[in-house]
Amino acid sequence: IPESGHKYYLQFSTEDYRTGEDAGNCLATVLFPKKKSRPVVSIKCSHTKDQKEIQEEDNKFYQRIRHQSKPITANNIPDSYGNIEPALEPVWALAVAGSSSIMWEKSTETLAYNLAQVKSVRQWIRKDDFIEFDYTVLLHEMPTQEIISCHMRLTWLPGQPLKVKHFCAPGHGAEQGSGAESGSAAGPPAEKGASF
Amino acid sequence: LTSLFPLQLDFWLAPRRLGRPVDIRVPFRSLQAVKAHLEASGVSYSIMIEDVQALLDEEQTEMLRSSRQRSVDTATFNYEAYHTIDEIYNFMDMLVAENPNLVSKLEIGRSTENRPLYVLKFSTGGTNRPAIWIDTGIHSREWVTQASGVWFAKKIVQDHANNEGVASILETMDIFLEIVTNPDGFVYTHTTNRMWRKTRSKHAGAICVGVDPNRNWDAGFGDAGASGNSCSETYHGPYPNSEPEVKSIVDFVKSHGNIKAFVSIHSYSQLLLYPYGYTTTPAPDDKELNEVSAKAVAALSSLYGTQFEYGSIITTIYRASGSTVDWTYNQGIKYSFTFELRDTGRYGFLLPAKQIVPTAQETWLALKVIMEHARDNMY
Repeated sequence: IPESGHKYYLQFSTEDYRTGEDAGNCLATVLFPKKKSRPVVSIKCSHTKDQKEIQEEDNKFYQRIRHQSKPITANNIPDSYGNIEPALEPVWALAVAGSSSIMWEKSTETLAYNLAQVKSVRQWIRKDDFIEFDYTVLLHEMPTQEIISCHMRLTWLPGQPLKVKHFCAPGHGAEQGSGAESGSAAGPPAEKGASF
Repeated sequence: LTSLFPLQLDFWLAPRRLGRPVDIRVPFRSLQAVKAHLEASGVSYSIMIEDVQALLDEEQTEMLRSSRQRSVDTATFNYEAYHTIDEIYNFMDMLVAENPNLVSKLEIGRSTENRPLYVLKFSTGGTNRPAIWIDTGIHSREWVTQASGVWFAKKIVQDHANNEGVASILETMDIFLEIVTNPDGFVYTHTTNRMWRKTRSKHAGAICVGVDPNRNWDAGFGDAGASGNSCSETYHGPYPNSEPEVKSIVDFVKSHGNIKAFVSIHSYSQLLLYPYGYTTTPAPDDKELNEVSAKAVAALSSLYGTQFEYGSIITTIYRASGSTVDWTYNQGIKYSFTFELRDTGRYGFLLPAKQIVPTAQETWLALKVIMEHARDNMY
Protein backbone atom coordinates (compact mmCIF):
# COMPACT_ATOMS: atom_id res chain seq x y z
CA ILE A 1 0.00 0.00 0.00
CA PRO A 2 1.83 3.08 -1.26
CA GLU A 3 3.05 5.38 1.50
CA SER A 4 1.61 3.08 4.13
CA GLY A 5 3.34 -0.33 4.12
CA HIS A 6 2.75 -3.93 3.10
CA LYS A 7 -0.52 -5.69 3.79
CA TYR A 8 -0.95 -9.46 3.69
CA TYR A 9 -4.20 -11.37 3.47
CA LEU A 10 -4.10 -14.82 4.98
CA GLN A 11 -6.39 -17.78 5.02
CA PHE A 12 -5.27 -20.80 6.99
CA SER A 13 -6.47 -23.87 8.83
CA THR A 14 -5.48 -24.85 12.35
CA GLU A 15 -5.05 -28.19 14.04
CA ASP A 16 -4.87 -29.48 17.58
CA TYR A 17 -1.18 -29.60 18.44
CA ARG A 18 -1.48 -32.88 20.27
CA THR A 19 -3.90 -34.88 18.17
CA GLY A 20 -3.61 -33.25 14.75
CA GLU A 21 -7.39 -32.94 14.60
CA ASP A 22 -8.77 -30.05 12.60
CA ALA A 23 -9.35 -27.11 14.96
CA GLY A 24 -10.94 -24.55 12.66
CA ASN A 25 -10.07 -22.00 10.00
CA CYS A 26 -8.91 -18.41 10.23
CA LEU A 27 -8.96 -15.30 8.11
CA ALA A 28 -6.44 -12.60 8.91
CA THR A 29 -4.87 -9.44 7.64
CA VAL A 30 -1.40 -8.31 8.68
CA LEU A 31 -0.20 -4.82 7.95
CA PHE A 32 3.52 -4.06 8.25
CA PRO A 33 3.70 -0.28 8.45
CA LYS A 34 6.43 1.53 6.57
CA LYS A 35 7.67 3.02 9.82
CA LYS A 36 9.19 0.23 11.94
CA SER A 37 6.35 -0.20 14.43
CA ARG A 38 4.74 -3.52 15.29
CA PRO A 39 2.49 -5.08 12.68
CA VAL A 40 -1.25 -4.51 12.87
CA VAL A 41 -3.18 -7.76 12.92
CA SER A 42 -6.86 -8.47 12.56
CA ILE A 43 -7.98 -12.06 12.79
CA LYS A 44 -11.16 -14.07 12.90
CA CYS A 45 -11.30 -17.82 13.46
CA SER A 46 -13.93 -20.49 13.51
CA HIS A 47 -13.55 -22.87 16.42
CA THR A 48 -14.48 -26.47 15.98
CA LYS A 49 -13.70 -27.34 19.56
CA ASP A 50 -16.25 -26.90 22.30
CA GLN A 51 -15.24 -24.38 25.00
CA LYS A 52 -16.37 -26.72 27.76
CA GLU A 53 -14.20 -29.52 26.40
CA ILE A 54 -11.23 -27.15 26.30
CA GLN A 55 -11.86 -26.16 29.90
CA GLU A 56 -12.03 -29.79 31.01
CA GLU A 57 -8.78 -30.63 29.25
CA ASP A 58 -7.07 -27.59 30.71
CA ASN A 59 -8.17 -28.67 34.18
CA LYS A 60 -7.01 -32.25 33.78
CA PHE A 61 -3.70 -30.96 32.52
CA TYR A 62 -3.42 -28.49 35.40
CA GLN A 63 -4.20 -31.16 37.99
CA ARG A 64 -1.53 -33.47 36.59
CA ILE A 65 1.09 -30.79 37.05
CA ARG A 66 -0.22 -29.70 40.46
CA HIS A 67 -0.02 -33.21 41.83
CA GLN A 68 3.68 -33.72 41.21
CA SER A 69 5.42 -34.66 44.43
CA LYS A 70 8.61 -32.75 43.50
CA PRO A 71 9.15 -29.72 41.27
CA ILE A 72 9.70 -30.79 37.67
CA THR A 73 13.16 -30.20 36.21
CA ALA A 74 14.39 -31.48 32.88
CA ASN A 75 16.83 -30.83 30.04
CA ASN A 76 16.72 -31.22 26.27
CA ILE A 77 13.12 -31.69 25.25
CA PRO A 78 13.10 -33.23 22.68
CA ASP A 79 16.50 -34.87 23.08
CA SER A 80 19.01 -35.09 20.24
CA TYR A 81 17.10 -38.04 18.78
CA GLY A 82 13.71 -36.31 18.79
CA ASN A 83 12.42 -38.19 21.83
CA ILE A 84 10.10 -36.62 24.39
CA GLU A 85 9.44 -38.59 27.54
CA PRO A 86 5.67 -39.02 27.87
CA ALA A 87 5.76 -37.65 31.41
CA LEU A 88 7.32 -34.44 30.09
CA GLU A 89 4.85 -33.85 27.26
CA PRO A 90 2.72 -31.37 29.25
CA VAL A 91 5.85 -29.41 30.09
CA TRP A 92 6.79 -29.33 26.41
CA ALA A 93 3.27 -28.32 25.47
CA LEU A 94 3.40 -25.36 27.86
CA ALA A 95 6.76 -24.37 26.35
CA VAL A 96 5.23 -24.44 22.88
CA ALA A 97 2.42 -22.16 24.00
CA GLY A 98 4.70 -19.82 25.91
CA SER A 99 7.37 -19.56 23.25
CA SER A 100 4.72 -18.83 20.63
CA SER A 101 4.19 -15.58 22.49
CA ILE A 102 7.91 -14.81 22.28
CA MET A 103 7.87 -15.61 18.57
CA TRP A 104 4.78 -13.47 18.09
CA GLU A 105 6.68 -10.54 19.52
CA LYS A 106 9.94 -11.14 17.68
CA SER A 107 8.63 -11.99 14.21
CA THR A 108 8.85 -9.38 11.52
CA GLU A 109 8.03 -9.22 7.84
CA THR A 110 11.43 -10.81 7.16
CA LEU A 111 12.21 -12.84 10.28
CA ALA A 112 10.41 -16.04 11.27
CA TYR A 113 10.88 -18.48 14.13
CA ASN A 114 10.33 -22.06 15.18
CA LEU A 115 10.81 -23.62 18.59
CA ALA A 116 13.91 -25.77 18.10
CA GLN A 117 14.27 -27.25 21.58
CA VAL A 118 13.53 -26.77 25.26
CA LYS A 119 17.04 -26.66 26.65
CA SER A 120 16.00 -26.73 30.29
CA VAL A 121 12.97 -26.35 32.48
CA ARG A 122 12.49 -25.91 36.17
CA GLN A 123 9.24 -25.68 38.04
CA TRP A 124 8.80 -23.18 40.87
CA ILE A 125 6.23 -24.28 43.44
CA ARG A 126 4.01 -21.37 44.46
CA LYS A 127 1.92 -20.90 47.57
CA ASP A 128 -1.06 -19.81 45.47
CA ASP A 129 -2.79 -21.91 42.79
CA PHE A 130 -0.70 -20.76 39.86
CA ILE A 131 1.79 -23.11 38.25
CA GLU A 132 5.09 -21.56 37.31
CA PHE A 133 7.98 -22.68 35.11
CA ASP A 134 11.36 -21.26 34.20
CA TYR A 135 12.49 -22.28 30.72
CA THR A 136 15.48 -21.88 28.50
CA VAL A 137 14.21 -22.35 24.97
CA LEU A 138 16.10 -22.37 21.69
CA LEU A 139 14.42 -20.61 18.80
CA HIS A 140 15.46 -21.29 15.21
CA GLU A 141 15.47 -18.01 13.29
CA MET A 142 14.88 -17.86 9.51
CA PRO A 143 16.36 -16.89 7.13
CA THR A 144 19.43 -16.17 9.24
CA GLN A 145 19.52 -19.81 10.46
CA GLU A 146 20.59 -18.58 13.89
CA ILE A 147 19.70 -20.42 17.07
CA ILE A 148 18.52 -17.86 19.61
CA SER A 149 18.51 -18.74 23.30
CA CYS A 150 15.65 -17.27 25.31
CA HIS A 151 14.88 -17.37 28.98
CA MET A 152 11.15 -17.67 29.60
CA ARG A 153 9.15 -17.47 32.80
CA LEU A 154 5.65 -18.77 32.47
CA THR A 155 2.75 -18.69 34.94
CA TRP A 156 -0.67 -20.19 34.43
CA LEU A 157 -3.99 -20.90 36.00
CA PRO A 158 -6.74 -22.53 33.94
CA GLY A 159 -9.26 -19.99 32.77
CA GLN A 160 -6.61 -17.26 32.74
CA PRO A 161 -4.37 -16.20 29.89
CA LEU A 162 -0.84 -17.61 29.98
CA LYS A 163 1.59 -15.06 31.44
CA VAL A 164 4.95 -15.05 29.71
CA LYS A 165 8.02 -12.99 30.54
CA HIS A 166 11.04 -13.49 28.32
CA PHE A 167 14.57 -12.37 27.62
CA CYS A 168 16.42 -13.52 24.54
CA ALA A 169 20.21 -13.46 24.37
CA PRO A 170 21.41 -11.12 21.63
CA GLY A 171 22.10 -12.94 18.38
CA HIS A 172 24.92 -12.01 16.02
CA GLY A 173 23.66 -8.51 15.39
CA ALA A 174 20.07 -9.20 16.36
CA GLU A 175 18.26 -6.74 18.63
CA GLN A 176 17.74 -7.64 22.25
CA GLY A 177 14.69 -7.04 24.36
CA SER A 178 12.94 -8.22 27.43
CA GLY A 179 9.23 -8.33 27.27
CA ALA A 180 6.35 -9.10 29.50
CA GLU A 181 3.45 -10.34 27.54
CA SER A 182 0.04 -11.52 28.53
CA GLY A 183 -0.42 -14.60 26.45
CA SER A 184 -3.90 -14.04 25.21
CA ALA A 185 -4.14 -10.26 24.89
CA ALA A 186 -4.05 -9.54 21.18
CA GLY A 187 -2.75 -12.98 20.44
CA PRO A 188 -4.17 -15.74 18.28
CA PRO A 189 -6.98 -17.82 19.76
CA ALA A 190 -4.64 -20.67 20.62
CA GLU A 191 -3.18 -18.54 23.40
CA LYS A 192 -6.29 -18.65 25.56
CA GLY A 193 -5.43 -20.80 28.53
CA ALA A 194 -3.24 -23.16 26.54
CA SER A 195 -5.95 -25.42 25.19
CA PHE A 196 -4.38 -28.72 24.18
CA LEU B 1 -11.92 -43.37 40.67
CA THR B 2 -11.08 -40.98 37.81
CA SER B 3 -11.65 -37.95 40.00
CA LEU B 4 -9.52 -39.13 42.91
CA PHE B 5 -6.42 -37.24 41.74
CA PRO B 6 -4.19 -37.93 44.76
CA LEU B 7 -4.30 -41.61 43.79
CA GLN B 8 -2.47 -40.69 40.55
CA LEU B 9 -4.24 -43.39 38.57
CA ASP B 10 -3.30 -43.69 34.93
CA PHE B 11 -6.15 -45.04 32.79
CA TRP B 12 -4.78 -47.02 29.84
CA LEU B 13 -8.32 -47.95 28.85
CA ALA B 14 -10.68 -45.31 30.15
CA PRO B 15 -14.20 -46.01 31.40
CA ARG B 16 -16.66 -45.73 28.51
CA ARG B 17 -19.86 -47.58 29.22
CA LEU B 18 -21.25 -50.35 31.37
CA GLY B 19 -19.91 -53.75 30.59
CA ARG B 20 -16.72 -52.41 29.00
CA PRO B 21 -13.36 -53.22 30.64
CA VAL B 22 -11.21 -50.52 32.19
CA ASP B 23 -7.41 -50.79 32.38
CA ILE B 24 -5.61 -48.82 35.07
CA ARG B 25 -1.95 -48.40 35.91
CA VAL B 26 -1.84 -48.03 39.69
CA PRO B 27 1.15 -46.51 41.49
CA PHE B 28 2.43 -48.76 44.23
CA ARG B 29 1.36 -46.53 47.10
CA SER B 30 -2.24 -46.42 45.85
CA LEU B 31 -2.56 -50.18 45.45
CA GLN B 32 -4.23 -50.89 48.76
CA ALA B 33 -6.67 -48.03 48.40
CA VAL B 34 -7.70 -49.07 44.89
CA LYS B 35 -8.10 -52.74 45.78
CA ALA B 36 -10.16 -51.84 48.82
CA HIS B 37 -12.35 -49.51 46.79
CA LEU B 38 -12.98 -52.07 44.00
CA GLU B 39 -13.72 -54.88 46.46
CA ALA B 40 -16.06 -52.72 48.48
CA SER B 41 -17.92 -51.80 45.28
CA GLY B 42 -18.08 -55.41 44.14
CA VAL B 43 -16.03 -54.70 40.99
CA SER B 44 -13.93 -57.69 39.90
CA TYR B 45 -10.37 -57.06 38.75
CA SER B 46 -7.31 -58.97 37.59
CA ILE B 47 -3.64 -58.05 37.40
CA MET B 48 -2.34 -57.86 33.81
CA ILE B 49 1.15 -56.57 34.54
CA GLU B 50 2.69 -56.99 37.97
CA ASP B 51 5.46 -54.44 37.55
CA VAL B 52 5.28 -51.93 34.71
CA GLN B 53 8.63 -50.39 35.59
CA ALA B 54 10.39 -53.73 35.13
CA LEU B 55 8.97 -53.94 31.61
CA LEU B 56 10.08 -50.42 30.84
CA ASP B 57 13.58 -51.05 32.15
CA GLU B 58 13.81 -54.13 29.97
CA GLU B 59 12.64 -52.22 26.93
CA GLN B 60 15.12 -49.44 27.59
CA THR B 61 18.03 -51.87 27.78
CA GLU B 62 16.85 -53.61 24.64
CA MET B 63 16.53 -50.33 22.71
CA LEU B 64 19.94 -49.14 23.83
CA ARG B 65 21.43 -52.47 22.89
CA SER B 66 19.85 -52.70 19.45
CA SER B 67 20.68 -49.18 18.41
CA ARG B 68 24.19 -49.01 19.78
CA GLN B 69 25.35 -52.54 19.11
CA ARG B 70 27.69 -52.60 16.15
CA SER B 71 25.90 -54.64 13.51
CA VAL B 72 27.97 -57.16 11.59
CA ASP B 73 26.24 -56.62 8.26
CA THR B 74 23.97 -54.20 6.51
CA ALA B 75 21.03 -56.59 6.95
CA THR B 76 21.03 -56.17 10.72
CA PHE B 77 21.98 -52.48 10.68
CA ASN B 78 19.32 -50.37 12.37
CA TYR B 79 18.02 -47.94 9.74
CA GLU B 80 15.45 -46.65 12.20
CA ALA B 81 17.98 -45.01 14.48
CA TYR B 82 20.44 -42.13 14.33
CA HIS B 83 24.08 -43.21 14.20
CA THR B 84 27.50 -41.82 15.01
CA ILE B 85 30.09 -41.14 12.33
CA ASP B 86 31.99 -44.31 13.22
CA GLU B 87 28.84 -46.37 12.80
CA ILE B 88 28.10 -44.79 9.42
CA TYR B 89 31.67 -45.19 8.17
CA ASN B 90 31.55 -48.80 9.34
CA PHE B 91 28.24 -49.27 7.49
CA MET B 92 29.88 -48.03 4.29
CA ASP B 93 32.70 -50.54 4.60
CA MET B 94 30.24 -53.36 5.20
CA LEU B 95 28.16 -52.33 2.18
CA VAL B 96 31.24 -52.34 -0.05
CA ALA B 97 32.41 -55.67 1.35
CA GLU B 98 29.02 -57.24 0.71
CA ASN B 99 28.67 -55.83 -2.82
CA PRO B 100 32.14 -55.46 -4.26
CA ASN B 101 30.90 -55.61 -7.84
CA LEU B 102 28.52 -52.73 -7.41
CA VAL B 103 29.80 -50.46 -4.66
CA SER B 104 33.17 -48.83 -4.07
CA LYS B 105 34.29 -46.17 -1.61
CA LEU B 106 36.22 -43.14 -2.81
CA GLU B 107 38.08 -40.69 -0.61
CA ILE B 108 37.68 -37.31 -2.30
CA GLY B 109 39.53 -35.27 0.30
CA ARG B 110 39.92 -34.53 4.00
CA SER B 111 38.01 -32.20 6.26
CA THR B 112 39.56 -29.33 8.26
CA GLU B 113 40.03 -31.70 11.20
CA ASN B 114 41.51 -34.26 8.82
CA ARG B 115 38.58 -36.63 8.64
CA PRO B 116 38.23 -38.54 5.38
CA LEU B 117 35.51 -37.39 3.01
CA TYR B 118 34.00 -40.56 1.58
CA VAL B 119 31.80 -40.96 -1.47
CA LEU B 120 30.13 -44.26 -2.35
CA LYS B 121 30.16 -45.09 -6.04
CA PHE B 122 27.45 -47.38 -7.39
CA SER B 123 28.33 -48.66 -10.85
CA THR B 124 27.66 -51.71 -12.99
CA GLY B 125 30.60 -50.95 -15.23
CA GLY B 126 31.54 -48.79 -18.19
CA THR B 127 34.04 -45.96 -18.12
CA ASN B 128 33.06 -42.59 -16.72
CA ARG B 129 29.37 -43.12 -17.39
CA PRO B 130 26.99 -40.20 -17.07
CA ALA B 131 26.35 -39.89 -13.37
CA ILE B 132 24.04 -38.75 -10.63
CA TRP B 133 25.39 -37.13 -7.48
CA ILE B 134 23.56 -37.09 -4.15
CA ASP B 135 24.91 -35.57 -0.94
CA THR B 136 23.46 -35.53 2.56
CA GLY B 137 24.63 -33.95 5.80
CA ILE B 138 26.34 -30.87 4.40
CA HIS B 139 24.71 -29.05 7.32
CA SER B 140 25.58 -31.25 10.25
CA ARG B 141 22.54 -30.62 12.47
CA GLU B 142 20.16 -31.90 9.77
CA TRP B 143 20.40 -35.46 11.08
CA VAL B 144 17.53 -36.95 9.09
CA THR B 145 19.58 -36.33 5.94
CA GLN B 146 22.64 -38.42 6.84
CA ALA B 147 20.27 -41.08 8.16
CA SER B 148 18.38 -41.02 4.87
CA GLY B 149 21.65 -41.22 2.95
CA VAL B 150 22.43 -44.48 4.73
CA TRP B 151 19.01 -45.81 3.77
CA PHE B 152 19.46 -44.69 0.13
CA ALA B 153 22.76 -46.59 -0.05
CA LYS B 154 21.11 -49.79 1.08
CA LYS B 155 18.14 -49.19 -1.20
CA ILE B 156 20.31 -48.86 -4.29
CA VAL B 157 21.97 -52.19 -3.49
CA GLN B 158 18.62 -53.87 -2.86
CA ASP B 159 17.06 -52.54 -6.08
CA HIS B 160 20.04 -53.79 -8.03
CA ALA B 161 19.85 -57.23 -6.41
CA ASN B 162 16.12 -57.50 -7.15
CA ASN B 163 16.41 -55.98 -10.61
CA GLU B 164 13.81 -53.33 -9.87
CA GLY B 165 13.66 -49.61 -9.10
CA VAL B 166 16.97 -47.94 -9.94
CA ALA B 167 18.44 -51.15 -11.41
CA SER B 168 17.52 -49.87 -14.88
CA ILE B 169 19.19 -46.53 -14.21
CA LEU B 170 22.37 -48.35 -13.15
CA GLU B 171 22.52 -50.00 -16.56
CA THR B 172 23.58 -46.76 -18.15
CA MET B 173 24.48 -44.38 -15.31
CA ASP B 174 26.56 -44.32 -12.12
CA ILE B 175 25.37 -42.98 -8.77
CA PHE B 176 27.67 -41.13 -6.37
CA LEU B 177 26.50 -40.71 -2.79
CA GLU B 178 28.28 -38.66 -0.12
CA ILE B 179 26.53 -39.43 3.15
CA VAL B 180 28.55 -37.43 5.70
CA THR B 181 29.44 -34.36 3.69
CA ASN B 182 30.44 -32.37 6.78
CA PRO B 183 32.06 -34.89 9.16
CA ASP B 184 33.64 -32.36 11.53
CA GLY B 185 30.29 -30.66 12.07
CA PHE B 186 28.60 -34.01 12.46
CA VAL B 187 30.95 -35.14 15.20
CA TYR B 188 30.46 -31.76 16.89
CA THR B 189 26.69 -32.29 16.93
CA HIS B 190 27.26 -35.55 18.79
CA THR B 191 29.87 -34.37 21.25
CA THR B 192 29.13 -30.72 21.93
CA ASN B 193 26.35 -28.85 20.21
CA ARG B 194 23.44 -30.63 18.56
CA MET B 195 22.52 -27.42 16.71
CA TRP B 196 25.87 -26.95 14.93
CA ARG B 197 25.41 -26.23 11.20
CA LYS B 198 28.69 -25.10 9.72
CA THR B 199 32.12 -26.62 9.18
CA ARG B 200 34.71 -26.35 11.98
CA SER B 201 37.34 -24.29 10.24
CA LYS B 202 39.27 -21.45 11.87
CA HIS B 203 40.39 -18.86 9.37
CA ALA B 204 42.92 -16.15 10.02
CA GLY B 205 41.24 -13.07 11.40
CA ALA B 206 37.93 -14.82 12.04
CA ILE B 207 36.60 -14.44 15.58
CA CYS B 208 34.32 -17.45 15.37
CA VAL B 209 34.64 -21.01 14.09
CA GLY B 210 33.05 -22.45 11.01
CA VAL B 211 31.85 -21.54 7.53
CA ASP B 212 28.43 -22.26 6.09
CA PRO B 213 29.27 -24.87 3.44
CA ASN B 214 26.14 -23.90 1.54
CA ARG B 215 27.34 -20.32 1.04
CA ASN B 216 30.93 -21.17 0.15
CA TRP B 217 30.46 -22.09 -3.52
CA ASP B 218 31.57 -19.89 -6.40
CA ALA B 219 28.18 -18.69 -7.56
CA GLY B 220 27.29 -15.18 -6.52
CA PHE B 221 29.83 -15.66 -3.74
CA GLY B 222 29.64 -12.94 -1.13
CA ASP B 223 26.52 -11.35 -2.61
CA ALA B 224 23.42 -10.62 -0.57
CA GLY B 225 22.15 -13.88 0.87
CA ALA B 226 25.21 -14.76 2.94
CA SER B 227 27.07 -13.12 5.80
CA GLY B 228 30.62 -11.78 6.03
CA ASN B 229 30.55 -12.16 9.79
CA SER B 230 32.37 -15.32 10.91
CA CYS B 231 30.02 -15.65 13.88
CA SER B 232 26.99 -15.93 11.62
CA GLU B 233 25.37 -19.24 10.70
CA THR B 234 25.48 -18.16 7.05
CA TYR B 235 29.12 -16.99 6.98
CA HIS B 236 30.35 -17.50 3.43
CA GLY B 237 33.99 -17.87 4.38
CA PRO B 238 37.03 -15.83 3.34
CA TYR B 239 36.84 -16.89 -0.34
CA PRO B 240 35.01 -19.45 -2.52
CA ASN B 241 35.94 -23.08 -1.83
CA SER B 242 37.88 -22.11 1.29
CA GLU B 243 36.33 -25.17 2.90
CA PRO B 244 37.95 -28.51 2.03
CA GLU B 245 34.50 -30.12 2.29
CA VAL B 246 33.38 -27.91 -0.57
CA LYS B 247 36.62 -27.88 -2.57
CA SER B 248 36.78 -31.65 -2.65
CA ILE B 249 33.38 -31.83 -4.31
CA VAL B 250 34.27 -29.04 -6.74
CA ASP B 251 37.43 -30.91 -7.73
CA PHE B 252 35.54 -34.17 -8.06
CA VAL B 253 32.78 -32.70 -10.23
CA LYS B 254 35.25 -30.93 -12.50
CA SER B 255 37.50 -33.92 -12.99
CA HIS B 256 34.59 -36.33 -13.49
CA GLY B 257 33.12 -34.06 -16.12
CA ASN B 258 30.07 -36.23 -16.78
CA ILE B 259 27.64 -35.57 -13.94
CA LYS B 260 24.14 -35.02 -15.28
CA ALA B 261 22.10 -34.58 -12.10
CA PHE B 262 23.19 -33.14 -8.76
CA VAL B 263 21.04 -33.30 -5.64
CA SER B 264 22.03 -31.75 -2.30
CA ILE B 265 19.87 -32.73 0.64
CA HIS B 266 18.96 -30.63 3.67
CA SER B 267 16.28 -30.42 6.32
CA TYR B 268 13.84 -29.06 7.38
CA SER B 269 10.92 -27.30 5.63
CA GLN B 270 9.62 -29.82 3.08
CA LEU B 271 10.70 -28.08 -0.10
CA LEU B 272 12.14 -29.07 -3.47
CA LEU B 273 14.29 -26.26 -4.83
CA TYR B 274 16.27 -25.49 -7.97
CA PRO B 275 18.53 -22.54 -9.01
CA TYR B 276 18.89 -19.69 -8.52
CA GLY B 277 19.29 -18.49 -4.97
CA TYR B 278 21.67 -15.62 -5.61
CA THR B 279 19.65 -13.83 -8.28
CA THR B 280 16.03 -13.24 -9.20
CA THR B 281 16.86 -13.89 -12.85
CA PRO B 282 15.17 -17.22 -13.64
CA ALA B 283 17.46 -20.06 -14.64
CA PRO B 284 17.33 -20.72 -18.41
CA ASP B 285 15.85 -24.18 -17.69
CA ASP B 286 13.39 -22.86 -15.13
CA LYS B 287 10.35 -24.26 -16.94
CA GLU B 288 11.72 -27.78 -17.25
CA LEU B 289 13.05 -27.81 -13.68
CA ASN B 290 9.68 -26.67 -12.47
CA GLU B 291 7.93 -29.48 -14.33
CA VAL B 292 10.33 -32.11 -13.01
CA SER B 293 9.86 -30.75 -9.50
CA ALA B 294 6.10 -30.99 -9.80
CA LYS B 295 6.38 -34.63 -10.79
CA ALA B 296 8.94 -35.40 -8.09
CA VAL B 297 6.85 -33.79 -5.37
CA ALA B 298 3.73 -35.66 -6.52
CA ALA B 299 5.65 -38.94 -6.30
CA LEU B 300 6.94 -38.08 -2.84
CA SER B 301 3.51 -37.16 -1.61
CA SER B 302 1.94 -40.35 -2.97
CA LEU B 303 3.49 -42.46 -0.22
CA TYR B 304 2.44 -40.83 3.05
CA GLY B 305 0.73 -37.63 1.94
CA THR B 306 3.67 -35.43 2.97
CA GLN B 307 3.21 -32.00 1.40
CA PHE B 308 6.15 -30.29 -0.31
CA GLU B 309 6.37 -26.92 -2.00
CA TYR B 310 8.71 -26.38 -4.91
CA GLY B 311 10.28 -23.64 -6.98
CA SER B 312 13.51 -21.73 -7.36
CA ILE B 313 15.50 -21.11 -4.20
CA ILE B 314 15.03 -17.36 -4.21
CA THR B 315 11.28 -17.42 -4.79
CA THR B 316 10.50 -20.36 -2.52
CA ILE B 317 12.72 -20.08 0.52
CA TYR B 318 14.94 -16.97 0.54
CA ARG B 319 17.87 -15.31 -1.21
CA ALA B 320 21.03 -17.34 -0.68
CA SER B 321 24.36 -16.72 -2.39
CA GLY B 322 27.23 -19.12 -2.91
CA SER B 323 24.96 -22.14 -2.65
CA THR B 324 25.83 -25.60 -3.93
CA VAL B 325 23.34 -26.10 -6.72
CA ASP B 326 23.73 -22.60 -8.14
CA TRP B 327 27.38 -23.51 -8.76
CA THR B 328 26.67 -26.97 -10.14
CA TYR B 329 24.01 -25.55 -12.43
CA ASN B 330 26.39 -22.91 -13.76
CA GLN B 331 28.86 -25.73 -14.43
CA GLY B 332 26.33 -27.13 -16.86
CA ILE B 333 24.67 -29.71 -14.61
CA LYS B 334 21.15 -28.95 -15.70
CA TYR B 335 19.30 -31.12 -13.18
CA SER B 336 20.53 -29.45 -10.01
CA PHE B 337 18.16 -29.68 -7.07
CA THR B 338 18.12 -29.09 -3.33
CA PHE B 339 15.71 -30.84 -1.00
CA GLU B 340 14.56 -29.67 2.42
CA LEU B 341 13.16 -32.81 4.08
CA ARG B 342 10.73 -33.25 7.00
CA ASP B 343 9.29 -31.62 8.97
CA THR B 344 7.91 -28.08 8.86
CA GLY B 345 8.97 -27.00 12.34
CA ARG B 346 7.27 -29.11 14.95
CA TYR B 347 10.44 -31.10 15.64
CA GLY B 348 12.62 -29.31 13.10
CA PHE B 349 16.17 -30.59 13.32
CA LEU B 350 15.23 -32.97 16.15
CA LEU B 351 13.08 -35.23 13.99
CA PRO B 352 12.14 -38.39 15.92
CA ALA B 353 14.05 -41.44 14.72
CA LYS B 354 10.86 -43.26 13.81
CA GLN B 355 10.40 -40.77 10.97
CA ILE B 356 13.77 -41.60 9.38
CA VAL B 357 12.61 -44.49 7.23
CA PRO B 358 9.31 -42.94 6.07
CA THR B 359 11.23 -39.76 5.20
CA ALA B 360 13.86 -41.70 3.27
CA GLN B 361 11.23 -43.80 1.48
CA GLU B 362 9.19 -40.86 0.26
CA THR B 363 12.28 -38.83 -0.70
CA TRP B 364 13.58 -41.76 -2.69
CA LEU B 365 10.47 -41.67 -4.89
CA ALA B 366 11.21 -38.04 -5.73
CA LEU B 367 14.87 -38.82 -6.38
CA LYS B 368 13.86 -41.57 -8.77
CA VAL B 369 11.78 -39.12 -10.79
CA ILE B 370 14.80 -36.83 -11.09
CA MET B 371 17.17 -39.68 -11.96
CA GLU B 372 14.83 -41.15 -14.54
CA HIS B 373 14.29 -37.76 -16.12
CA ALA B 374 18.03 -37.24 -16.35
CA ARG B 375 18.46 -40.66 -17.94
CA ASP B 376 15.65 -40.08 -20.43
CA ASN B 377 16.75 -36.56 -21.32
CA MET B 378 20.46 -37.04 -21.75
CA TYR B 379 22.34 -33.94 -22.81
